Amino acid sequence: MAVKITGLGIISAIGNTVAENLWSLENSRSGIAPVNYLDSKRALLVGEVKYSNRDLADHLGIKSPPISRTSLLGLAAAREAWGSNRHTKELRSGIISATSVGGMDTTEQFYSHFLDQNNPDYSVLKCHDSGSTTERIAAELGISGYINTLSTACSSGANAIMLGARLIEQGKLDRVLVGGTDALANFTIDGFRSLMIYDENWCRPFDESRTGLNLGEGAAFLLLENDKSIRFSGNVPICCLSGWANAADAYHQTASSPEGTGATMAIQNAIEVSGLSALDISYVNAHGTGTKNNDLSESTAMINVFGDNLPDFSSTKPFTGHTLAAAGAIEAVFSVLAIQHGLIFPNLNYKNPISETGLVPITELQTQQPVLAVLSNSFGFGGNNSSLVFSVHR
Amino acid sequence: MYINAASTISHQPTFRNAGFSKDIKPLEKSSEIISPNYKDFIDAGLLRRMSKILRMSVTAAKDCLSQANIEQPGAIIAGTGLGCLQDTEKFLNTSLTIEGLLPPTSFIQSTHNTIAGQISLSIGNHGYNMTHTQNTLSFEHALIDTSLLLNEGKDYILTGAADEFIPFLDVAAGQLFPGSAPTLTSAASFFLFSNMKTDSSVAQVRDVTTVGLVQDIDAGIDSFLSDSFLNVSELDLVLYSDITAAGSLDSVAHQYFNGHYHTQSKLIDYTTLSGLYPTNSAFAMHYAVDRIQDNKEIKRVLILNRLNKINLGLTLIESLEA
Repeated sequence: MAVKITGLGIISAIGNTVAENLWSLENSRSGIAPVNYLDSKRALLVGEVKYSNRDLADHLGIKSPPISRTSLLGLAAAREAWGSNRHTKELRSGIISATSVGGMDTTEQFYSHFLDQNNPDYSVLKCHDSGSTTERIAAELGISGYINTLSTACSSGANAIMLGARLIEQGKLDRVLVGGTDALANFTIDGFRSLMIYDENWCRPFDESRTGLNLGEGAAFLLLENDKSIRFSGNVPICCLSGWANAADAYHQTASSPEGTGATMAIQNAIEVSGLSALDISYVNAHGTGTKNNDLSESTAMINVFGDNLPDFSSTKPFTGHTLAAAGAIEAVFSVLAIQHGLIFPNLNYKNPISETGLVPITELQTQQPVLAVLSNSFGFGGNNSSLVFSVHR
Repeated sequence: MYINAASTISHQPTFRNAGFSKDIKPLEKSSEIISPNYKDFIDAGLLRRMSKILRMSVTAAKDCLSQANIEQPGAIIAGTGLGCLQDTEKFLNTSLTIEGLLPPTSFIQSTHNTIAGQISLSIGNHGYNMTHTQNTLSFEHALIDTSLLLNEGKDYILTGAADEFIPFLDVAAGQLFPGSAPTLTSAASFFLFSNMKTDSSVAQVRDVTTVGLVQDIDAGIDSFLSDSFLNVSELDLVLYSDITAAGSLDSVAHQYFNGHYHTQSKLIDYTTLSGLYPTNSAFAMHYAVDRIQDNKEIKRVLILNRLNKINLGLTLIESLEA
């Protein structure tokens, strides 16, 4: 399998464009800092996009409120990925986004006013449901037809990319924007705090001393095209999405199995779909949230699949924070950048290996690497495990 | 793709009640959900923590598996418009009103994919597990995903849709749509699909499509029918939902089909039967299957989903003989 990727767009804590994100990755600049834009009662470390809602709306030329921050972020990334592509009736175009919070960033403000009986603005509820966040992005971009939203917690973004590839493979669409978006919300911050996996210090994926994650926000989209679409657009493929898989861990609603059952299946199946072998993988962009449970389970899964031949791996979450439904899409863009520029990104904040597995991630930027194929993992609540394989376009 | 089992828990007597479509009447505003004894399907310890949407979904899903005599489906796919509202509202309340340590259960169960996730957990299923949430088209998108999987060689796919009512929805509806007072309901419907006809097959889905931000509805219906080489006159029943013009002759369904039908009995507004929830086209599918099983004359049913006027969903269901 191989679906061509011809466009990228991203907005995250480390930059508002692909170029800015790449610069931060190359210069080990994390975007995680104390809360600044979100109206929060706690001074936690978060990976915020460095724009207020008003600035984002102005920047994007949004005239008609209400619009959720989730839609604003998604639109910024989707517009960059869409670029100067033209609309045409000749091509079946679609958009698949992923979100876990939808318009919760506006709903939680509404609900606070509602509880206080302080003039709640009911109109913002129209942008609460996850599907409406995607419809808004589609409407602003002028896309109609296949418009869909997936919500599988932290694996959502990867699943949106996978679904787009399958629709193209089966000839249902000629081109499709795929990705995910999630705005930071007190709802999710409090949620991860209630699970006692929110690290009040810098998150430390794959480190023995890790105690949890830092949440982030952002969005990323990729444009997938078939040959017919590329003949029309004249776009040059950046690289290919060649493998994908989703599997259920069926172990626990939030925890991953210690054996990494679902993760192992997702990784194995994605590599199998790509037609490559495990030895062909140059780099693994791990899910690596920094929680005790995920990083151990994911390490075990990597050992299950790669044995003694573990490729270079790192988690880029210390740059962006864990952006939930956007994470799979943001890390897909990072995986493409790794191939495009021959880079392997460092796992910031790492000191000592996890005692049970002893795995050591890449901690310094590696340049001029022959990065031919990248595996990107995304694992979520409900035991939802997804893996994608990106490879050079030949 | 073949439908091998159908199970619905709703405000109508749909659960384990073949032939229900003959007897049901439009819902009264005061109607309530008709719950089976959930303990017959779900372990009491798990049941205690489950919200309404999870109980309904896991039970309907398990009922489908037992009807089709399938232990492990090849995949589990759920559609939901608004997700696990009860737990979402509960955690939102907790997080806004309680200082200090918060109980995590309602947060854990607030994510949309808790539905498909709990089904996989309850039967120990490791297959593809997906959740589509495109408001009124969530179920149709789950069906499209099902057909992709069947084409990829997966089989026996458990696919359904669920949404749950919370009292806050009445408050919000009253503010956002004053004067409308819709009958808001909860329901879950699940189906078991296969590539080939089996002993338990009851009907088939011939085609399904979605048009988001639809511009030309008539053209959408025209091309959907012509893709299946069908004339309007070959449809034996049209189930439609058109909340902006419920029951009125101005509805898209009435306008489109008016010239073709002399009798209005072939046009049924399914929202009057299911009540209003974002994925009620799944109720319509079960209703269609039940009508097809009950009456040999009914061979082709079109579900025309215009619950949200910016979107169009079309599903064509056929009897095994069609």
